Amino acid sequence: MEKKKAQHMGLSEAVAMIRDGDLLTFSGFTIWRRPMAAIYEMIRQGKKDLHLVEVQGGTHSDLLIGAGCVRIWESCWIGHELYGKLGGNLARKAEAGEVIIEDYTHMQLLCRMAAGAMGLPYYPTYAGLGTDHLNPEYDHLGKLGYRDGSYPKIPKKKYELVKDPFFDSELVHVPACNPDWCIVFTQEVGSEGTVRIQGQRFSDEEAIKAADKVMVLAEHVVSEDYIRRDPDRNLIPHYMVDAIVECPWGAHPTGCYGLYEPDGRFIQDIYKKTRTQEGLEAWLEEWVFNTSDFDAYLHKLGVPHLKVLKANPAEKHSTLIKRGKA
Amino acid sequence: MYKEKSDASAGEAALSPEQYQPIDMLAVAAAREVMDGDIVFAGTGLPMLAMSLAQLSTAPKSVCIYEAGSIDGCPCSIPSSVGDARCIENASVSSGLFDVFHQLQRGWVDLAFLGGAEIDKYGNVNTTGIGKYGVVPEKRLTGGGGNPDINGLAKKTVFIMVQEKRRFKEQVDFITSPGWRIPKWPEGEVLDKKDVYNRAYRGGPTAVITDMAIFRFDEQGEMYLDTVHPGCTVQEVQEKCGFELNVSRVSGETKAPTRGDIQLLYTRIDPERIFLP
Repeated sequence: MEKKKAQHMGLSEAVAMIRDGDLLTFSGFTIWRRPMAAIYEMIRQGKKDLHLVEVQGGTHSDLLIGAGCVRIWESCWIGHELYGKLGGNLARKAEAGEVIIEDYTHMQLLCRMAAGAMGLPYYPTYAGLGTDHLNPEYDHLGKLGYRDGSYPKIPKKKYELVKDPFFDSELVHVPACNPDWCIVFTQEVGSEGTVRIQGQRFSDEEAIKAADKVMVLAEHVVSEDYIRRDPDRNLIPHYMVDAIVECPWGAHPTGCYGLYEPDGRFIQDIYKKTRTQEGLEAWLEEWVFNTSDFDAYLHKLGVPHLKVLKANPAEKHSTLIKRGKA
Repeated sequence: MYKEKSDASAGEAALSPEQYQPIDMLAVAAAREVMDGDIVFAGTGLPMLAMSLAQLSTAPKSVCIYEAGSIDGCPCSIPSSVGDARCIENASVSSGLFDVFHQLQRGWVDLAFLGGAEIDKYGNVNTTGIGKYGVVPEKRLTGGGGNPDINGLAKKTVFIMVQEKRRFKEQVDFITSPGWRIPKWPEGEVLDKKDVYNRAYRGGPTAVITDMAIFRFDEQGEMYLDTVHPGCTVQEVQEKCGFELNVSRVSGETKAPTRGDIQLLYTRIDPERIFLP
């Protein structure tokens, strides 16, 4: 492949490269290290018919779905952890027939992304055997005619059960996923694109390497010289990255190891206020459409609000936040 | 903090029901399912309380894996979810899902704690949707997450659930997570789990702990009532179960939490009251 050069750009310019109908995936896990600034910007730009395949969902995808940007969601779980037990927007949209859900198990999705990352067409696993994830009745994309081969990013089958040719066994083969974009939030990216991820890496390596194009939002853009002093701490080589956006606090209200806690009360507020479409629209009006960009959003939150979330450098999490009832 | 063995829970008498909360009973009963040395997959909430309590009392050599990618962390304060920065404090390894789920598939996991919205007598669990499922679901729930993978591939799984008639059902609306008798797709013929999982078969659900009782599974993989919690009767449990319950093997009353258990839970494990009331 031709060696690419990662482009530095602003958030709106980077998000403008995402086309309606693109297949997207994201960094992070539930309410941790999600590229929220890019989610808000996609909503502002009015993206349509997006197809999400994610190892698991969270606050980011529930908002994007609520805002009407998503047509297909292939995943296994959506919610806000302790701060909201359900992806209320996905539930409402799916029950209204406005979003198509394709259910896989957590491990099956991981295997789909891993196959994509390895350049394989599919990946074998025992995960999901004996469950309704394999029930042909719930192959929703198949039922709706999306598996006729005319959609390049949608496999012709949901899965295949295959006799193991070497030992006496039977496995589920799940199709590779190669998203158009993986949108990442991380602590540090080098000026040429080398990605370092601190803390748990969730399924980021598979998601990033599976994607055709990679957009990295980072708390800090650092010099390549600096990031290459410790290559054993780096995860992704620079040539896999297409766009670099320096975006401090860009994961808010989700958390980021070593930088900030999830903003639990803010997430709980999203969950409670967006249970209805009217509530969702009012919330978006206040926090997305009435803030012209991410800086305006941060300004609205204010420093006193954010400082409590900020991680203590020794502990890697906040020591100021009140997390529980005590 | 978690691994430093405490003497607080050793040999203390059980408390009476007015001296503890229902959630305390759940956490303590779940903790007692951990054998010392077990490698345990745990999730957010009650399983964290149970696992921490086990490590501080009866199972100090047990190991906790969180599915987001942390192995054997010993955090100074309880994580609020499995992606939390705290999960990797003093951990053996910080990695990701690819690592820990493949360890699960490889057979490393002895025990896992799971939850669910509905369960049937074979331990099939639903967390996907209530009512008629399909392209347009009647009522969408949060989805399976790792529940099917973990229930399918761990040696033993323990479900922690609320005891309600609508949750303990003859047939669940969607089999999210595989119990002892499961459909073999694409035909859907119902078989014993070992005939569906073959080489990867290594066990399945062994207990269901609710706010009223503890259930276990017999040689045929059918649920039976084992113990009722102090203050509950067999009759009351049957009334809150949607299928005919096997009560022929009831072994007595669940041992209530001790003062030491309560002390550990409220002063050491979750003093911030993130999960505890």
